[in-house]
Amino acid sequence: MRRTVAAAAVIALGGALLAGCSADGRETIRFTFSKREALEFMSGVVADYNASQDDVRVEMDTSGVDVVSASFVRGNPPDLMLANYNYEVARFVQRCALSDLSGTDAAGSTRDDLQPLMDQYGVCEGRTSALPYSVMAASVIYNKQIFAEQGLEVPQTWDELLAVCDKLVAAGVTPFYATFKDDWTVGQGWYDYSVGGSLDVIDFFDGMWAEGTNVGPDSSVSFQKDFAEPMARMTQLTADYVNDDAPSRGYGDGNLAFSKGEAAMYLQGPWAFSEIVKTAPDLELGTFPLPMTDSPDDLAVRVNMDLAAMIPEASRHKDAARDFLEYLYQPEVIEAYNESQLGFTPTKDAPAPSDPRIGGMIPYYDDGRIYQGPSVLVPKTIPVFNYAQAMVLGGDVGYYLDVMDRDWARMAFRQPVAGDAEPTGQVDETKESDR
Amino acid sequence: MTATSTLVTQGTRPPRSRRRVEPIYYLFLLPSLILFTLAITVPGVIGIFFSFTDSIGIGDWNFIGFTNYIALFSDPAILQSYLFTFGFSIATVIVVNVVAFLLAVGLTSRIRLKTGLRTIFVIPMVISGIIIAYVFNFLFSNSVPAAGTALGIPWLETSLLANPDLAWIAIVIVTAWQAIPGTMLIYIAGLLSVPGDVNEAADLDGASKPQQLFRITVPLVAGYVVINVILGFKGFLNAYDIIVGLTGGGPGTATRSIAMTIIAGFNGGDYAYQMANATVFFVVAILISLLQLSLTRGRNQLS
Repeated sequence: MRRTVAAAAVIALGGALLAGCSADGRETIRFTFSKREALEFMSGVVADYNASQDDVRVEMDTSGVDVVSASFVRGNPPDLMLANYNYEVARFVQRCALSDLSGTDAAGSTRDDLQPLMDQYGVCEGRTSALPYSVMAASVIYNKQIFAEQGLEVPQTWDELLAVCDKLVAAGVTPFYATFKDDWTVGQGWYDYSVGGSLDVIDFFDGMWAEGTNVGPDSSVSFQKDFAEPMARMTQLTADYVNDDAPSRGYGDGNLAFSKGEAAMYLQGPWAFSEIVKTAPDLELGTFPLPMTDSPDDLAVRVNMDLAAMIPEASRHKDAARDFLEYLYQPEVIEAYNESQLGFTPTKDAPAPSDPRIGGMIPYYDDGRIYQGPSVLVPKTIPVFNYAQAMVLGGDVGYYLDVMDRDWARMAFRQPVAGDAEPTGQVDETKESDR
Repeated sequence: MTATSTLVTQGTRPPRSRRRVEPIYYLFLLPSLILFTLAITVPGVIGIFFSFTDSIGIGDWNFIGFTNYIALFSDPAILQSYLFTFGFSIATVIVVNVVAFLLAVGLTSRIRLKTGLRTIFVIPMVISGIIIAYVFNFLFSNSVPAAGTALGIPWLETSLLANPDLAWIAIVIVTAWQAIPGTMLIYIAGLLSVPGDVNEAADLDGASKPQQLFRITVPLVAGYVVINVILGFKGFLNAYDIIVGLTGGGPGTATRSIAMTIIAGFNGGDYAYQMANATVFFVVAILISLLQLSLTRGRNQLS
């Protein structure tokens, strides 16, 4: 009797180990996707795919990037990832933990000029490790109704911006709705828009990687030297022109308050639109780049690789994952996805987003006046979001920029490998020549 | 981190006799020894090994000697996380033990509704830390400022969590709220073990109630105080879930605990560096355990 029980247990265990072979003979692949605004859309895509063929079953895992990181360490990564492309994910690229996608139709269909943006985070030599799936452009969101009521024009220079803010304050309207409680909103919005509107982000970080351990008060580039002016202007705005309770408001509070018209401007990306629409479906919104200098030529919008597709090298179902990858890159799927999420489709000849709320950014995107956020171009070991949050909460800007320089030099000291993956992209040039 | 608990539990059971030990006892030890080795010792040794490399947890790595340790000791963020964690732990241990002891004294004296009150005071213990943290997060961010505005108290109008100098107080309050019931139960057990006749005798000799408390009761439960302080301190050094739910280490980096810094390293591709940090923390924890062990022995002999 005991022996039968033991045998049954062994069989059960063995069955569990044969992961990927479900009862109906389909190959099951684990697909991670955790962008919560788009879960519903992607669930629909997965269901359509599962219904369209009999060989592969896709299971969507929405547990988020931390769980994915842990699964890589355990040697059990997902079979296909569609994830926000940043340093957290890009280290899998740098250490060649992702398989080469260069032979896929999907790789052939994406625009070549986007690769430099991907390469800013590092490369695995000879491989196309990740493919862009959705490019997001972000800038100031403004309430068109409030601007019209107050007779305001979209500001093009720093002085015009201050004039707009003063007029709004005089009219009893809060100029900016800020959500300092969530540090990422400070990094993504205030910090990135301020820096990106002031200096050439690519040149700056090329210089920082080149200086490495020498970064400090005397290096040719440094946070304390190059960021002092943008940060001073940022803290001027956050001190005088935001809601009083900003320190205790988070992202969700901000979307709700802005949808109720509690402020004229909001520093968020297009992902916030789908949240704002839930409470204010008819609110007229527009976007414009945050002017940080006296020259309208410096205006630029922040872009990020909101989603990139990757197939880990350790996946045991690479072929099945590739099949689903090709499905995802079919024009009707990828264009519908980006249209629904207000993103720019990274495939050749794809149309620009038709949504009028994005319209204010399309000319800048077409002109190549774009930058990737300086808060995400820093390896995550340096808590930039926390530092940015400390600055807008009234911390000493000079002190925190000095801390960031020291952190950078220390990181370069102990991890020279990160410097090998030095970005060499010429985004602005390629952008202009292509579009 | 886990080393603290093991050393402490080993320490509370000193070898008694020199007689030959029945082999069956070793058999009892075997399962936990195997589990402990596989789940704690082996990963611990692997982690210490990787602290001398530039690994990010996956892929290729190289030996880089003591580079991580050199960087670690010059990193003010790491130093700050140690200062915060120890300051927070000490403050919380004091608050928890004082409040829990007074509650225990109250709940063991002859009062009405004793059972009902005990139940109410124990409820926080059964709620998960992260849920407590989110509830208090809401209270601190919305309810308290709203009350401050309504009552016209200016310093209450901004969230305690948004103030880099005061956010740690909020964490102490919430952690204490969760930790007090467990500590209180141990004190109640201790107070009930104090024989009634010593207090009666003191009463006859004319000792006042406070005198009885501080001269008779407190010395008799001294062993329980030591246990509560050690267990509490050990737990608070690992502070993680409540801080994540309340402040996420902010504002700025004001409330990043050691455990948070280490875990952030796993996610941020800083595996080897934070392994070095964990190794240092491990050594610190061993030193503290040794100190506490010697203290416990002294106390046990006293009482």
